[in-house]
Amino acid sequence: MERDRGRIWNRRLFLLYMAGFSLLLLAGITFSGAIQADAALITDFSRKNLAPSLRYPFGTDWMGRDMFVRTLAGLSLSIRIGLLTAGVSSVIAFGLGIAAALGRYADGVIGCIIDVVMGIPHMLLLVLISFAMGKGFWGVVAGISLTHWTSLARLLRAEALQIRESQYVKIAGKLGKGPFYIALRHIMPHLLPQLLVGVVLMFPHAILHEAGITFLGFGLPPEQPAIGVILSESMSYLSMGKWWLALFPGLLLVLVVLMFHVIGNAAGSVLDPGQAQL
Amino acid sequence: MRKGQRAVAAMIAIGFLISGCAGSGGDFQAQISAAGYGTKREDVIVVMGPSSEPEAGFDPAYGWGAGEHVHEPLIQSTLTVTTPDLKIGYDLATDMEVSEDGLIWTVNIRNDAIFTDGESLTARDVAFTYNTLRDTSSVNDFTMLERAEARDDTTVVFYMTRPYSIWPYTMAVTGIIPEHAYGADYGEHPVGSGRYVLKQWDRGQQIILEANPDYYGESPKMKKVTILFMEEDAAFAAVRSGQADLAYTAVAYSDQAIKGYKLLSFETVDNRGFNLPAVAEDGEIGNDFTQDVNIRRAINLGIDRHRMIENVLNGYGSPAYSVCDKMPWYNEEAKEDGEPQNAVMLLEKAGWMAGTDGIREKDGIRASFTLMYPAGDSVRQALAADTANQLRQIGIEVKTEGVGWDVAYDRAQKEPLMWGWGAHTPMELYNIYHRAPGKIYAEYSPYGNEKVDRYMDEALACGDLEESYALWKKAQWDGTTGTIYKGDIPWIWLVNIEHLYWAREELKVAEQKLHPHGHGWSVVNNVDQWEWE
Repeated sequence: MERDRGRIWNRRLFLLYMAGFSLLLLAGITFSGAIQADAALITDFSRKNLAPSLRYPFGTDWMGRDMFVRTLAGLSLSIRIGLLTAGVSSVIAFGLGIAAALGRYADGVIGCIIDVVMGIPHMLLLVLISFAMGKGFWGVVAGISLTHWTSLARLLRAEALQIRESQYVKIAGKLGKGPFYIALRHIMPHLLPQLLVGVVLMFPHAILHEAGITFLGFGLPPEQPAIGVILSESMSYLSMGKWWLALFPGLLLVLVVLMFHVIGNAAGSVLDPGQAQL
Repeated sequence: MRKGQRAVAAMIAIGFLISGCAGSGGDFQAQISAAGYGTKREDVIVVMGPSSEPEAGFDPAYGWGAGEHVHEPLIQSTLTVTTPDLKIGYDLATDMEVSEDGLIWTVNIRNDAIFTDGESLTARDVAFTYNTLRDTSSVNDFTMLERAEARDDTTVVFYMTRPYSIWPYTMAVTGIIPEHAYGADYGEHPVGSGRYVLKQWDRGQQIILEANPDYYGESPKMKKVTILFMEEDAAFAAVRSGQADLAYTAVAYSDQAIKGYKLLSFETVDNRGFNLPAVAEDGEIGNDFTQDVNIRRAINLGIDRHRMIENVLNGYGSPAYSVCDKMPWYNEEAKEDGEPQNAVMLLEKAGWMAGTDGIREKDGIRASFTLMYPAGDSVRQALAADTANQLRQIGIEVKTEGVGWDVAYDRAQKEPLMWGWGAHTPMELYNIYHRAPGKIYAEYSPYGNEKVDRYMDEALACGDLEESYALWKKAQWDGTTGTIYKGDIPWIWLVNIEHLYWAREELKVAEQKLHPHGHGWSVVNNVDQWEWE
């Protein structure tokens, strides 16, 4: 028994350390990328098509742009977009989740909205919204924000419905408290841990979709050092043997997504009592 | 069980892969051996980009041969052809005559041309072609044609609504269609009298042309021409695996080497350049910075075109000084090689002084503009970037922005855009510099000069083609005004992009005339004269 406990604690500590490390690294990428944003745009034709070297660890592309700086700037942009969109989506999801607790009728309407939005293929809706908003930064932010709240909203709604049926909520109702009071005072606090984990886990989705939609040409404009732009440009250079243009940015994107997963899992195991014992 | 299923699936997949490879390779082997060892091959496999496939088929009314990317229609004959020096030669026509007032063209045609369905080609077919295209053409301008009439079997008369001296250039891209066999499905089942017959068309994949045995001219040396449509990287892969004899390619691939293939590079008037709105900002049009003619001249001086060609095109290009370099109507006064120090002198004389960050200013206007380029075009993007780098050195700030064509045309009225032009007709000068009919300024970028317009109007009204060339030249520069750098310079021309192809070492591609804009059908203009060594 003692040993088990020790192991669990070690695992949680280990997760926390990993999460802390990931957080540091992500913060590092975000800040250094943001500072380098201007440097990422510099073209210098005297150093075009260089393979990775000490000076240019990720090589350079056909306009002589430093791919390391570009990748950092791109990931930084992705993370910032992820932050913004995950924030907006979670607000939507949270609002709807709480509202579902108000009553049977409200719940029916919200369930319906969630089903409708979920029923449309993710990428399609994303492309449509981004295109309608004129593409670019705000198109991507609006597109991702408006499409990524559904699964979290469904999760929160289910949780809210469960709590609504619990004894203390019913008692509160019998004591004459209104539905708004109950939703805010008795249900919302229980949803917060779920929300936090949900937000962190939404990040990788948002980042991948930002890269995806930009890759397809409906997202950020081609002069931006966005990761999707970098990857789609590198496609045509693969057959010429310029592997470094796609490999390093792609790897770093996967790494960033993984790190968010680690943080999300750690947050889950610390905050969510249901998961903590797993 | 599941393991077993997977194994079966894997085997099927591998099977497909193997048979897929073997299939295409086998076809090729078959073609080679069919041609036979020792005997000369008489067929050629050419790869073009997917956008070269004619969407509406081989109907001259809907873009075949004409339009933005002109080329010879191969399947149909034309009245005239453009010669290697871009003057006018004859195909069906034997001679032509234009009336004093330029309103009546009389063209005699040969009597031995036969459509591939056996009917002979008469002046009635010619008249039918032009009258039909006048009403239906979606790509060429036929508004100057009132009607065409067959006087007898070999004489056709064109009645014009206005004088149009360069009518023979329109004739050179208008394939003659048969009156008796023209209908809605003509595009897919074309009947013509040209060098080749359409044998097979698999949409999205390939077009097979075979030599027309009844052709009235010299019979084609290449009996069979297969044209495949592939993206750049697929074309490159096809060449590397030996599946094509000639394939288009881009500058980015030019440093590669493929065994058994040579890299061909053809000169073009496929130019790239950007517009500079020449009027002050007023609502949706104009630009307060580029309206200053000194700025436009300085930008032109500040660009080192040779360096740009090395930087962006790996040397595969030539400097462009106008939209029509090396054409018979090109005015050589336009030539000017970048001299940044002169640009700086000009700017300072005009009162544009450097600010604290090195960017010039005058009367509160910052020497800065946004240069747009079509998103997805990596060459134009690189040209824009290099322009920005070069102009930065003379104190002008350029931001680049990728845009879609849905907004590019409208935005170009206010901001410079990286364009691509180059055609085998002087009409392009008119389209770019002449004020658009019914408008105050030219169509693509706000600019207007009465004298320039008058020269072009005179050139069109002129009875003699040679004389009209001189007038087109005057529109560019007459000694006091014009569209080149000594004059108004509302457009900056940067480079002519050479068209690059991988070709099998044994393939002898006949001499090419300057390719127009569009990296497609131009190369096979004279495929009938290609040979194997």
